[in-house]
Amino acid sequence: MKSVRIWFKKQDECIYISHLDLNRCVLRALHKSRLPVWHTEGFNPHPFVTFSLPLSLGFKGENESMDVRLIDDDFPLSSIPEMLNPCLPMGIRVFKATEPVIKPGKIAYARFKMLCSGKNTSPQKMCEVLKNLFSEEQLIVEKKSKKGVKEIDIKPYFIDYSLNPQIGGAELNITLPAGSTNNVNPSLITDAVKKYRGIDVDCCVTRLYLMNDKFQVFE
Amino acid sequence: MVNKDVEKLLLKVQKPGRYVGGEMNAVVKDKANVDVRFAFCFPDTYEIGMSHLGMKILYSQFNSVDYIWCERVFAPWIDMEQLMTENNIPLFALESGDPITDFDFIGFTLQYELSYTNVLNMLKLAKIPILSKDRKGLSQIVVAGGPCACNPEPIADFIDLFFIGEGEEVDLEVIELYRKCKKEGNTRDEFLILCSKIDGVYVPSLYDFEYNSDGTISGMTTKNGAPKVINKRLMMDMDKSYYPDNFVVPMIEIVHDRAVEEIFRGCIRGCRFCQAGYLYRPVREKSIDTINRQCHTLCTNTGYDEVSLSSLSSSDYSKVVPLLEELNKWSKDEKVSLSLPSLRVDGFSDDILNKIKTVRKSGLTFAPEAGSQRLRDAINKNVFEDELLTTCSLAFNGGWTSVKLYFMIGLPTETFEDVSAIAKLGQSVVDEYYKCPNKPKGKSVNVTISTSSFVPKPFTPFQWEPQDTIEQLHEKQKHLKESITTKKINYKYHDADTSFLEAVFARGDRKLCKVMKKACEQGLHFDGWNECFSLDKWLEIFDDCGIDPGFYANRRRSFDEILPWDHLNYGVTKNHLKKECEKAYNAQTTPNCRQKCSNCGAACYKGGVCFEKREDMV
Repeated sequence: MKSVRIWFKKQDECIYISHLDLNRCVLRALHKSRLPVWHTEGFNPHPFVTFSLPLSLGFKGENESMDVRLIDDDFPLSSIPEMLNPCLPMGIRVFKATEPVIKPGKIAYARFKMLCSGKNTSPQKMCEVLKNLFSEEQLIVEKKSKKGVKEIDIKPYFIDYSLNPQIGGAELNITLPAGSTNNVNPSLITDAVKKYRGIDVDCCVTRLYLMNDKFQVFE
Repeated sequence: MVNKDVEKLLLKVQKPGRYVGGEMNAVVKDKANVDVRFAFCFPDTYEIGMSHLGMKILYSQFNSVDYIWCERVFAPWIDMEQLMTENNIPLFALESGDPITDFDFIGFTLQYELSYTNVLNMLKLAKIPILSKDRKGLSQIVVAGGPCACNPEPIADFIDLFFIGEGEEVDLEVIELYRKCKKEGNTRDEFLILCSKIDGVYVPSLYDFEYNSDGTISGMTTKNGAPKVINKRLMMDMDKSYYPDNFVVPMIEIVHDRAVEEIFRGCIRGCRFCQAGYLYRPVREKSIDTINRQCHTLCTNTGYDEVSLSSLSSSDYSKVVPLLEELNKWSKDEKVSLSLPSLRVDGFSDDILNKIKTVRKSGLTFAPEAGSQRLRDAINKNVFEDELLTTCSLAFNGGWTSVKLYFMIGLPTETFEDVSAIAKLGQSVVDEYYKCPNKPKGKSVNVTISTSSFVPKPFTPFQWEPQDTIEQLHEKQKHLKESITTKKINYKYHDADTSFLEAVFARGDRKLCKVMKKACEQGLHFDGWNECFSLDKWLEIFDDCGIDPGFYANRRRSFDEILPWDHLNYGVTKNHLKKECEKAYNAQTTPNCRQKCSNCGAACYKGGVCFEKREDMV
């Protein structure tokens, strides 16, 4: 038995399905593909799948991954995309399968690309709004979790970012804490714009890749 | 495909996956290469509509024809509807993302009366005139079918034509005729008149009704040579009937998220309250070979690991055990589980249980429908108390600790004793649990009694019966609640208000169209949902229109009254229904179709169970 990391993109219509729905889609695809995956041995056997890190509903994912176990050690990894893709909706595209290098528990950061736009706000103007906002002393926003709502300051996280006007909005590339211990959702930035500047921002978010605590790209 | 305008709204609504399409097996064609665009509309949410088998069959069948592109349309939930209205976005089809305004056909499936407001509301959202007479030119043909089309009159002013009976053949005949008329430059009226000559098509604008001073129907006249009686269409050879080899596999969770194989149509039982049992006569089975092949193909093509063997009463399939044995030959190896919905109390056996691996431990449901034997006889349920107790005992010994029992209150001839008998039956099930030697150790039993309110339906022996008033139903609910003395029984009841409205529209006539129109203007929708339903608003509308809803719901009709659906023929004779009704008054049962033919009239279709060899004759 060996662990395999399957890499895919989540895009188009499929950005509108939740993590639970994605899980269901993938289980069905694995079943249909007849890939020799290991099944759990409980009362209700199902393929054993671990997603590296859930992606929020509405976000695109460029380098998403999930781990499965194959019961055939010699199974050629290169054939996995062509086996799985016909079994998945077009919005989920598998592009490679690799042997895992970093454990999902080590994920500490995520790199995002955000295209921010607003009614009656040009891309240039939006860049200025954001730049100006990031120079505030503090940016206190409400973070909702299962345990309730708490206030956090997101200002300290604006370290590694770039801001450029593009067609359709201001493009913000930013690295934010991600993972099970500390997770900062990029939607908190649009919340901050609303709270501090009173502007409604439409934001198209893409998660580009994940990293560990030493900023090594998750593979 | 998501269109740009819709995309802006998606992150502002609950479950945006409802509105995006893009599922596996969804059919996308090039609109330049098709002659007919058909919007298949389900007047409820995505999760409900996507669970519906009829839509899956017709969607695949229409799309198997090169020149037709059939797309799915569902009613947007209230949050999405509001945003669409505010942003001036018309109702769109999921596959193309295009507004359905200019589609050739807008087709609705009518599964329950409380979805009628959604039908009108969807037309409104699509910016299509709701009244048939306001739609001009040869496009935007609004059609409807499904069980509620058996009494189409309450929505006759809005629908251009109804499909009566099963749609597999007649729908395509109408679409083909449309394509021909379009080529030849016929007008809308010419097309509709030609349609009325097709067997199984009802064009309501060609029929006029006259009324007596008391509001009952005095007569009906037809125009342009439309037939006086419209016969239902049905598929006699289920093995040759179209069945999809692929389903659209939804990406979000829907109500019934599994492969579905229809194993037969119709029901042998003849329960007197059950409309489906009469509409779909005679029983027509698929062969084991066909079912086996279709199940396997569906599971392979969809990736589903569960297949439901669907019908009105699946344990009545004549060779159910051999069927399960055949399916088990591959289902276990391929990790596919089988489920049998609609199990009858008397159809539950060890033999079946062993072959359907995953009847989930939580969900064991039986429907005795009535508490006393007398009333069960009156409704011809043909289930006995000891059968129920034996079955429950089997289940308890097999490790179940909770059972759900479904009943109806307000059935014809029902007394308060019949109502308290429901509680007694529940108690007997509780007692049965404690008698079981192999009951799960240290666990208590949990019996849920759930009651709905009886709604008299057209084409049943109870079509002449009054429905209990809301007050009477409330009294009976209260009485039952008080008759239950143990905490091991949980009582739940269905809201009587919605059942009342359902009863009004189920047996309504064309005079109700103005009520429907007003309801649409006032923005009523999703009447089947607690979030939206308001009886007070409805009563106000009835009042404004000068219509007494009690006339439709709570009035006893005489056997010789002309009923609004008398011009439709579903094969069962009115005389048979009348005889069955009289037998109900005397608590006399009628044997099922396999035991003895009762000459209901369905033998006119020359097939199915009516011509099966009966066991006692072999």
